[in-house]
Amino acid sequence: MSMYDVVIVGSGASGGAVAYTLCKAGYKIAVLEKGRLIDREEFSKDELAYCRRDLVTPNLFDEYHTIEEKVDGEWVTTPTYESGWSFWNGNIVGGSSNLMSGMLHRMHPDDFRLKSKYGEIEGANVVDWPISYDELEPYYALTEALIGISGRVDEHPFEPPRSTADFSQPPTKENAVVKLFDKSCKSLGITPLVTPRAVLSKDMPGRNACYYSNFCGSYGCSSGAKGSSREALLKPALATGNLTLMSNTYVKQLHSQTKDEVAYAVAVDTITGKEKKIEGKIFVLAAQAHESARLLLNSANALHPNGLGNSSGEVGKNLIFSGGGSGQGELHKDDLKEIKFEELMKTGLFINRSILDWYFVDHWWDGKFKGGSVEFMFEHQNIISRARKNVYKEEKLVWGEALGEHLVPRLTQQKNIRFEVFNDWLPNDDCFVTLDPTHKDKYGMPVGKLRVVGHPQDVKVGKYISKKCEEVLKEMGAKNIYSSISSAPPQNLVAGGCRFGNDPKTSVLNKYCRSHDIRNLYVADASFMPTGGSVAYTWTIYANAFRVADQIVEVLKNEA
Amino acid sequence: MKRRKFLILGSLLGLSPYIEAKDISAFEKEFAEVEPILRAVQEHLFPEGAKLPSAKSMNLTQFLFETMRHKSFDKDIKAFVLEGAQELEKREKGAFVSLSETKKEKALREYEQTEYGSSWLARMMTLSLEGLLSDPIYGSNVQEKGWSAISSYGGFPRPRSRYIEL
Repeated sequence: MSMYDVVIVGSGASGGAVAYTLCKAGYKIAVLEKGRLIDREEFSKDELAYCRRDLVTPNLFDEYHTIEEKVDGEWVTTPTYESGWSFWNGNIVGGSSNLMSGMLHRMHPDDFRLKSKYGEIEGANVVDWPISYDELEPYYALTEALIGISGRVDEHPFEPPRSTADFSQPPTKENAVVKLFDKSCKSLGITPLVTPRAVLSKDMPGRNACYYSNFCGSYGCSSGAKGSSREALLKPALATGNLTLMSNTYVKQLHSQTKDEVAYAVAVDTITGKEKKIEGKIFVLAAQAHESARLLLNSANALHPNGLGNSSGEVGKNLIFSGGGSGQGELHKDDLKEIKFEELMKTGLFINRSILDWYFVDHWWDGKFKGGSVEFMFEHQNIISRARKNVYKEEKLVWGEALGEHLVPRLTQQKNIRFEVFNDWLPNDDCFVTLDPTHKDKYGMPVGKLRVVGHPQDVKVGKYISKKCEEVLKEMGAKNIYSSISSAPPQNLVAGGCRFGNDPKTSVLNKYCRSHDIRNLYVADASFMPTGGSVAYTWTIYANAFRVADQIVEVLKNEA
Repeated sequence: MKRRKFLILGSLLGLSPYIEAKDISAFEKEFAEVEPILRAVQEHLFPEGAKLPSAKSMNLTQFLFETMRHKSFDKDIKAFVLEGAQELEKREKGAFVSLSETKKEKALREYEQTEYGSSWLARMMTLSLEGLLSDPIYGSNVQEKGWSAISSYGGFPRPRSRYIEL
């Protein structure tokens, strides 16, 4: 059995960032990934395979979660194989970073001190972070350069400060609809901003610029333009010769023989079913928030009866998602303003626009509260799903000759524009992951049981912002505008569960994301986040994992 | 690609191929029993001479069979599709296939009045659209006629193999 300097569980954004840094520093690293490798050559825009069947996530009858919701005052637990509501996000080499849309923002400095800034909120467990924005900023900049984030620096009071002048990659190409969008925003006194996107607009070594396939989010990239962990980090890490990438390898438990040290990981080859032990000096969990907490809990033994690294009892608690929701409006051929319909229908180009005007609200009438960010985009271009949305008329299924009459104009004479609102999912006592007492996955391990209740404030903020966005769509001349803000958790935006903090009694990890209890155990994914900010997590996950990796390099240097 | 195919097929040595084979042939038999009903329903939903290509010309029933046969297909949905066809047949006393188009329309709209029938018809619509609008490699959407009817085309690169043959 070989001994690695560092064993990383999971190959997504955080696992890739840690592996990259350590391999470059000359250490021997093993990355254990449950899923298989799909490389650039194999990825295609096969909607049936990638979006209609679960080829990149486990079959829910084999591996699933149980979800606990309050129905009429009673807690009701439903296995996801019954509901079909999968909480898996891309179980392949590179994880869900392969499939992201890549619309990214840095968190704001005030997101690191939310409690100091806005005080307590009843029913929410808001705390300040043990680090400031300044400590993370160099790593946001590093991520921008290494992953390849394209964009443009626009002046805005809520835009976080930068240590570098501009993005090294200009924005990706934009659909002409931005003329209409920008004009509409300005006439409402709103500042439209170019969205930083983890998609290359220019070639980088080993990766080609975006080719505007029209099918970006939910799909793997075939030019390497998308800044996935696989393309941007694991490939160069493999090139060092220091990385052993083990796909189809599911980690059941971490085994510890002493109070403060992990000895080895117990892993299963998902193809042969054979079990093996993988030894390392240091272990890094990067399995996505709810699964990293589950692994710690599943690693309980006589020395650690409540799970590994859980002397605080905090493992799995304060799980967070993202508050908000989405909305949509239709731009019709007949009354399109500002641009030609043919320009609007040109496929593949991005909208690339976000609004940060409501990130912090301080208004004489509306009050003072933390708001959120908004992204604008076209409705996803998936053909089957767009058609499916248009087969009902007055709540009855349309079929026969009438179906073509109904469907064809809706897909050829209009284009739908969407917005997505991101606001804080306030951490609270009714959002956490624990082990299900009865349900086990096909490897015999207890599945994660998730209670997923949101705080009422989240919905209030989401609705406030979505109303503003509806006005933008209205100004653009869109028809049939609606929005849907709810407290349902978006399963692809999950964080928390292993808070970092200075007090071992109230947090799981220290400020470097090392376990307070176990000296050779780190959690590098979004688990560490005590609060989530009001932007998608990915940029922060990458940045923090680079920061954690630097700390591990220091530790390994000192031990040598 | 070849190596993975080998790995996956290799891993099934032992009892698995026998079990898999048995499952598939049981499904084939069950599907064959209700195939005429499924076909008649799809041909009614997607008739000849409409703005969208017909079920018949797009081989939608063959697509339905192939997509449901694959091990990745949700087993509950598979059972539901087959049972829903039997239920329709029972409601129409075994005569649905031979009804006139007008009577088929009446039968399906009546079926839609029930919660079960309405879910089943929605499922048949989804599975038919999946065939009509997925990549032509899956054998439906012949010559991209489904895509061209709605001026929407799949992205590049196109799949070079069907996932169901992995």
